[in-house]
Amino acid sequence: MSCLIVQSDKTLLLEIDHELAPECRRSIAPFAELERAPEHVHTYRITPLALWNARAAGHDAEQVVDALIRFSKFPVPHSLLVDIAETMDRYGRLRLVGDPVHGLVLESSDRAVLEEVVRARKLKGMLGDRLAEDSVAVHPSERGNLKQALLKIGWPAEDLAGYVDGEAHQIDLADGDWELRGYQREAAESFHAGGSGVVVLPCGAGKTIVGAAAMAMTGATTLILVTNTVSVHQWKSELLRRTSLTEDEIGEYSGTRKEIRPVTIATYQVMAARRKGVYTHLELFDAKDWGLVVYDEVHLLPAPIFRMTADLQARRRLGLTATLVREDGREGDVFSLIGPKRYDAPWKDMENQGWIAPADCVEVRVDLSESERLAYATAEPEDRYRFCSSSETKTTVVREIVERHPQEQVLVIGSYIDQLDELGERLGAPVIKGETRNKERERLFDAFRSGELRTLVVSKVANFSIDLPEAGVAIQVSGSFGSRQEEAQRLGRVLRPKSDGRTARFYAVVARDTLDQEYAAHRQRFLAEQGYAYRIADAGDLLAGEEI
Amino acid sequence: MTDNARPGPGRSSDDPDGGPPGRPPTFTSWLRSRSDGELTALLTARPDLAQPVPADIGALAHRATSRNAALRALERLDRFTLQVLESVVALGDDRLSEPVGAQPAEIARGLGLTPSGAAGEDPLDEALDTLLRLALVWPDHGRLRPVQVLRELLPHPAQLGPPARALLAALPHGTAKRLADDLVPHSTATTPVETVATALSDPDRVAALVSQVGAPARRLLDNLAWGPPNGTVSDARREVGLATASSPVEELIARSLLVATGDDTLTLPREVGLYLRAGVLFQDVSTAPPAFEGRQVPPEAVSRAAAGQAFTVLRAVEELLERWSQEPAAVLRNGGLGVRDLRRAAQAMDTDEDTAALYLEVLRAAGLIGTDNRVAGEWLPTREYDLWRERSPEHRWLRLALAWLDSDRVASLTGSRDAGGRVRNVLGPGLVRPAAPRARLDVLTEMAGAEPGLAPEAGSLAARLAWRRPRRQSPVHTELAGAAVTEAAALGLTGRGALAEHTRPLLTTEGAAAGADAAAEVLAAELPQPLDHILVQGDLTAVAPGPLVTGLARELALVADVESTGGATVYRFTEESVRRALDAGRGVSDITGLLERHSRTPLPQALRYLVSDVGRRHGRLRTGSAGSYLRCDEPALLAELVADRRATDLELLLLAPTVVVSGLNRAALTERLRQLGYHPVPESGDGTMRLSRPEIRRAEPEPAVPDEGGRAPELARAAVRALRAGDEAANVARIPVSLPEGGTAGSRANALMEVLADAADGGRRVWIGYTDTDGRQVSRIVEPARVDGGFLTAYDTTRDAVHRFAIHRVTGVAELGDGG
Repeated sequence: MSCLIVQSDKTLLLEIDHELAPECRRSIAPFAELERAPEHVHTYRITPLALWNARAAGHDAEQVVDALIRFSKFPVPHSLLVDIAETMDRYGRLRLVGDPVHGLVLESSDRAVLEEVVRARKLKGMLGDRLAEDSVAVHPSERGNLKQALLKIGWPAEDLAGYVDGEAHQIDLADGDWELRGYQREAAESFHAGGSGVVVLPCGAGKTIVGAAAMAMTGATTLILVTNTVSVHQWKSELLRRTSLTEDEIGEYSGTRKEIRPVTIATYQVMAARRKGVYTHLELFDAKDWGLVVYDEVHLLPAPIFRMTADLQARRRLGLTATLVREDGREGDVFSLIGPKRYDAPWKDMENQGWIAPADCVEVRVDLSESERLAYATAEPEDRYRFCSSSETKTTVVREIVERHPQEQVLVIGSYIDQLDELGERLGAPVIKGETRNKERERLFDAFRSGELRTLVVSKVANFSIDLPEAGVAIQVSGSFGSRQEEAQRLGRVLRPKSDGRTARFYAVVARDTLDQEYAAHRQRFLAEQGYAYRIADAGDLLAGEEI
Repeated sequence: MTDNARPGPGRSSDDPDGGPPGRPPTFTSWLRSRSDGELTALLTARPDLAQPVPADIGALAHRATSRNAALRALERLDRFTLQVLESVVALGDDRLSEPVGAQPAEIARGLGLTPSGAAGEDPLDEALDTLLRLALVWPDHGRLRPVQVLRELLPHPAQLGPPARALLAALPHGTAKRLADDLVPHSTATTPVETVATALSDPDRVAALVSQVGAPARRLLDNLAWGPPNGTVSDARREVGLATASSPVEELIARSLLVATGDDTLTLPREVGLYLRAGVLFQDVSTAPPAFEGRQVPPEAVSRAAAGQAFTVLRAVEELLERWSQEPAAVLRNGGLGVRDLRRAAQAMDTDEDTAALYLEVLRAAGLIGTDNRVAGEWLPTREYDLWRERSPEHRWLRLALAWLDSDRVASLTGSRDAGGRVRNVLGPGLVRPAAPRARLDVLTEMAGAEPGLAPEAGSLAARLAWRRPRRQSPVHTELAGAAVTEAAALGLTGRGALAEHTRPLLTTEGAAAGADAAAEVLAAELPQPLDHILVQGDLTAVAPGPLVTGLARELALVADVESTGGATVYRFTEESVRRALDAGRGVSDITGLLERHSRTPLPQALRYLVSDVGRRHGRLRTGSAGSYLRCDEPALLAELVADRRATDLELLLLAPTVVVSGLNRAALTERLRQLGYHPVPESGDGTMRLSRPEIRRAEPEPAVPDEGGRAPELARAAVRALRAGDEAANVARIPVSLPEGGTAGSRANALMEVLADAADGGRRVWIGYTDTDGRQVSRIVEPARVDGGFLTAYDTTRDAVHRFAIHRVTGVAELGDGG
């Protein structure tokens, strides 16, 4: 009896308390996406993308089937094994290769597949002349679109056409009081070996450093795309600290400044900005002969950037993210345009190794007062969520929680400005929201980082990519309805390792028996599935002074 | 029985009972001389002979030699035994010259076999044993004779033509006469045909005749020697004499080495063929089937794969039937299941449509699904299904496997078109192939002959089947055998192409059911046994790491939604699922109790909160139909509801702090309240909660198809007992009691009753002729007990029971002779 159960919907259940579980996990991780990791049984899913990722990483169907048969507790349905072998077999039947005469060529050893592809409607205009029985010319500009389209019709192409080296630029990792952690080196190396692809690491695990290491290995001019301006500055200071790059070598390309330097950091926003229907900053991609393009938070990559990326297929591309789950379901585009997954590590494993802070998640349930309930019941449907999630009663509870952590840096996160303003006022803390100027934001962040400021109230502008190393406590008072990804990002705020190894606290304050509770349940599902079991506490007990 | 195979010279086989000497031996008399054990073996091997039980040995002999029964027996012979039988037919034809019958040594020579010394190992001995056991040949003075009907069924045994006597008899008298005059000028035989036939029966004479013809004629003969024994020529019936023969063909005709059998057909007489072949009957004789070719798989892997498939089948059909319990599929007008419903069933069972069709057919054959007998009928699980679900997995599987083995329906025909161009539907008409069960048994039995773990290649299996059952080979049979292989794999009787160990016990001669217990034991060790525990996790899921005991599975499916199935089942607890359980009458403590009892892990806090939250809200509001009221223990909640702007259409009026009435009827009110996000519970008139639970529907099983019968030795033994008694009644010496002919009907009956009453007084046995209820004339030996009311009550030795005979049906009565 072993530890793996294969389900008919191609999910794999792994009993993690089993003695063979670690070995089994190592065997199945290359070809199955970890979907849920609660405390006893982890769920992996075998998807075509995951299988192709495995193929791209050099695993073959035999290994996959062997792993399933070896670890499966019950006999594996034969049809499923056949299906896996067939799916994996589809990857690499078609190869994109560079040809000295014809430039880019799509070739295949399987004529039938090539015939099917050549006749496919979706590929009209992407393919050029038939060169031989087993090869057809490809317009170089269609390299990305073709890969995208081929994935959609189920014949993902292996891109062996290589990369341009770009303009060389020496980048070294700086010596100092730090060194590359093992998994960071591994991630950078496996990316470099593949040429392009995605590295999946939890928040706080040092994705920026993986980026820096990849840049050092590539040794070429680099374009870095990040989510917002704060993030630009973060990357910049991190690169200055970790690499031999100097201030003059790093340019910032944002709404306010338009510098183009050997290493340029730009925001998605500015790249996606349009004037009269035209992308005005496209020339950035051609401004230099980039040797590497880094996409931070690849799961947030907006659609226009995908389109631009399709034209960048000859350059090395590194995607960094905490999760491959995209709320818009465009995982396939990430696979075909950025590249296959090159590295992945489960959150809990990282935590066990001490690379990210352990977290304690508590849901505090607040009873609405009778008058609030009456008001909630009579509220217009579109206002109901706002009403319950920003109820008066919550403020009292938040204050109580803040007071319970006198020694900690506390971050209060919410979505509704009115509520945040009120909280700021009651807690005597500054509020960072959309209208707060960048300069002011950074001043406040610096003050918070230095410990000068103990409590900070932030809106969802703080969701991504700001580094708050010492935030030991986060209190979430309201969220964007039910976004799973947002919850993960917010938890990520407190997961950076603490200097003294304390446990991070994550509070979600929720109004009982309302929409708030429903949405909270949905958001938390993602974290529960990552193994962060929520404790539930009653606000009444909390206010009565009970320990939680 | 070996003693009968080669009757020794010192033993006269015609009258082993010491019957009347001089009477020529017959098949019937030989049959009568067989021991009870041998007759039982005959009826076991040829069960169709005992259905219905023949009245006496004569009737048995008649039936055994009937065309259809003999054909059925021939089907069961393997290629070698069939060759031996053909040899007996070829050499033992009674139209060949005396002595009639074939000697075993001759047969061995004809087959090119050297008899081995050791008894019981000689393949020829074994084959002859089989043929005697099946009563296809019988011994006569140390020679073996085929039963007559085989002459028709095997017209060209070993590709030889008919005996010369038969060929010549069909010629015009003048032609035969001229041949006789030409070949044997001074014959003493009675007829020209006899003259020529006797001449040809002497190999030396044939040799002399053959040596007279020229080389071209000799080549012609050689071409025909190995069959087919017919040649075509224009004007075959031409008049040719020795003197007038001018062409090679004419040379042969004139010497009756070829005989006309049609206007343009010439046939080589058997005697001539045998001479030309130097007595050899077959060029290619293999006493054993061709060796298996295939892939060797570890036997454990085979059993594991097959058991895995068996488990998959169980899970799939249970999934489907649970679904059909609530949403049955419609019955087509032709009685089948529609294409769309089949597709849906395939989805539910997580398989393709061909396999789904197979599972459905098997379910019906096993009596687990049936139709309700309404006009717009529906396919439903039967009551049997509920009992079946309670059984252990191996027995559940066995029921399906046995049903498949016996079923004459072939699921793979689904989707094909019948002669009228109509598409055949699964569970519908047109899927019956009576040969299917035999084909399945043949295939599996053949596979059982391979080494454990050997997965034979399709070609190799087909070659062996062709050797084993040469008479059954046909495109239809090949198709059925192919389907059987696929279906056996889909049902888990084979794994990775080889026969599973748990299938082996089902392939006994006593029928599959006899081996069921042994099979169950083997299978049980491989199948995952039902669990009674689950793992509950913080993300509000529960995992059952294997199949669950039925009761727990049903309870869990009520409390939680099934998220994925397979080897394990993943359940997810949601507000709706918990409410469903509460609606079905479970309490909060019932649910947590159930989970605590069965969870291997501590219940996560979040789940307790979920259950108690829903429980807390569930039923807080109660709706009523009497005037439609709402009541609640919390005045505030009612106040809230009454104040709810969305609830204005409910026409609510606060009746008391805890009671509100509504102008709507209860159903509409409940519906609206639920839409508003409350969880009201309807109340019945006396103030108790009304619970709703989905009703599970069932159909009656179809009557089981009666067992093929005759297979079981007891039945065969009983048949032999009846036969013997019948035979005695038919053959015993009897002294007829004369009854008044003519006269009134009453006088005859009176006379009859007198004789019978007298026998009853004297305790004597008498013979009676009787017209049974089917109008058949039967004879019985009875021991009359009493005669009254127009009935004779008597002990009937044929049936070994006391029976009542209507006097008016008694056709005659006789006192028994000394022998009786």
